[in-house]
Amino acid sequence: MSTLRLIFLLLCFSVAFLPASAATLPAWLKFWKGKDAQSALKPIPSLTLGAFTGGTGESARHSLVKELNSTRQFRLTNVDPDFTVTANSVGGRVNGRLVDRTGKEMLDRTYAAPGLDENLKAFADDLIFAVTGKPGLATSHIVFVSDKTGTKQIYLCDSNGQDLQQVTHHGHGCVSPTLSMDGTTIAYTSYANGFPVVQVLDLGQGWERTVTDTPGSSFGASFAPDGERLAVVMSFLGNPEIFVTDLNANSAACISDSTGAPSSPAWHPDGQQVIFADDRGDGPRLYVTEVPKSNEAEAKLIRWRTGYSFCADPEFSPNADSVAFTARVSGELAVVVKSWPRGSSRVIQKGGASHPSWSPDGQYLCYSQSGTLYLHHLSTGQRRAILSGHGQITEPRWMK
Amino acid sequence: MNRFFLSFSVFIAAQSLLSSCSQLPGLNSEPAAEVVYALGSRDGFTSPLAGALKPACSALEFTGISFDLTGVHRRQLAPLAADPATKKDRYLIAGYAPPGLPEDFARALSERRAQAARQYLIESGVEAARLQTVGFGFDSAPNAPGANVVVVYRQ
Repeated sequence: MSTLRLIFLLLCFSVAFLPASAATLPAWLKFWKGKDAQSALKPIPSLTLGAFTGGTGESARHSLVKELNSTRQFRLTNVDPDFTVTANSVGGRVNGRLVDRTGKEMLDRTYAAPGLDENLKAFADDLIFAVTGKPGLATSHIVFVSDKTGTKQIYLCDSNGQDLQQVTHHGHGCVSPTLSMDGTTIAYTSYANGFPVVQVLDLGQGWERTVTDTPGSSFGASFAPDGERLAVVMSFLGNPEIFVTDLNANSAACISDSTGAPSSPAWHPDGQQVIFADDRGDGPRLYVTEVPKSNEAEAKLIRWRTGYSFCADPEFSPNADSVAFTARVSGELAVVVKSWPRGSSRVIQKGGASHPSWSPDGQYLCYSQSGTLYLHHLSTGQRRAILSGHGQITEPRWMK
Repeated sequence: MNRFFLSFSVFIAAQSLLSSCSQLPGLNSEPAAEVVYALGSRDGFTSPLAGALKPACSALEFTGISFDLTGVHRRQLAPLAADPATKKDRYLIAGYAPPGLPEDFARALSERRAQAARQYLIESGVEAARLQTVGFGFDSAPNAPGANVVVVYRQ
């Protein structure tokens, strides 16, 4: 009996000291710590702004401080900083430099876009990438649909809902937009000739071309990570199916095998799988298919069980550890995130929120709710409306 | 005792007969795969977005998110295939879905419903090349004829 008591006391003793020894836990016990706990312990890098010289140097400093504060990626301080930023700015052109505490140069680049703000956004994103290894959001864009003009058209804005611009002006409207990874190209469905046709628009060059002019409907375009392929829904075979089109070769291969209503394909970041919703008679569910490397190879298709009987608009997170999608929860649409390929799911926002899209750094989701565009921070749960009163905003997609 | 053997024999015979039924053609065979007809060229077809078109029959109303045709739908479509005068007409079958659904799913659902109506008309004798489909989801609002319907437009 006394031996048992001794074992019990030893167990209590080890449990009491477990948190203190957490850093030296054996590998097989590491799962107790969890990813979030690890990232929460990671200190925020500190940064100071050194000399900003040149005619527009002081303006550049003010704008960069504002930009960096909004990112929440750095702690700006003059006391023992981890990194120091200096810059020279003349006429809006910026030459920026970043060194670490040992004086090692981490970034030295010239930004020569026409506007000072544009240059500083690019500089801020480069600073974030140099320090954290994750892309910044200052230069990223969100594409969405709005009916502000009376017909549905495609618009672009930045991650603060600013820099708003109307991209399409087609008579019968345009819907279902998506951005390429680098944000230079948009694919969307146009009703210009009265029928849904997928088109690609190069934002830099301004040229536009038709990708699918097939009978039936074409919609739901999604750029592959390589930017050279599109996953798209087409119905010319007599049934809607998911196709992968090669934008260079103008060829298309069917990757679904549906007798139902497949929709909203989205690529895995590895470019080898596509996730999509398909209603085979029991409501839309999520399916994942491999993209065959050749026409002869067969596509392997699996149904991904989410625990919800109505799922649509899936999108992989940038690091592919989760999928965000629209689900029907308690009779209304909601945004849900579920770990990939298995794990728990959590409802991010109820009340009609739909069409989630990940930020390039994977920390935020944007979605539309009641015609307003929202940004939702996944760690803190805080959300803010970045664009409202601009017609009914739907179908947002964030460039990756 | 004899009665027991008789009952047992009858039971074994019935079992053998039932088990052999599953081997008979037509009794337990797989349902024949449905032939799906690819769409022909869209040249010459006019979209309802581009101009006022005349419906060839009353709108096919659907409930919820189903895309299967009901007996009512078939009765509405039957005259288009039965009348020799209209059998040679061309039709655009347009699907519409109600707001409140995810947009891309609404497009797929409305296209799938239009395809179901087309399939029925083909099986009823209308030439496949005379039938086109389109799924608008709820993109064409506020000009849409009403949500959750399929409208067959004579061209």
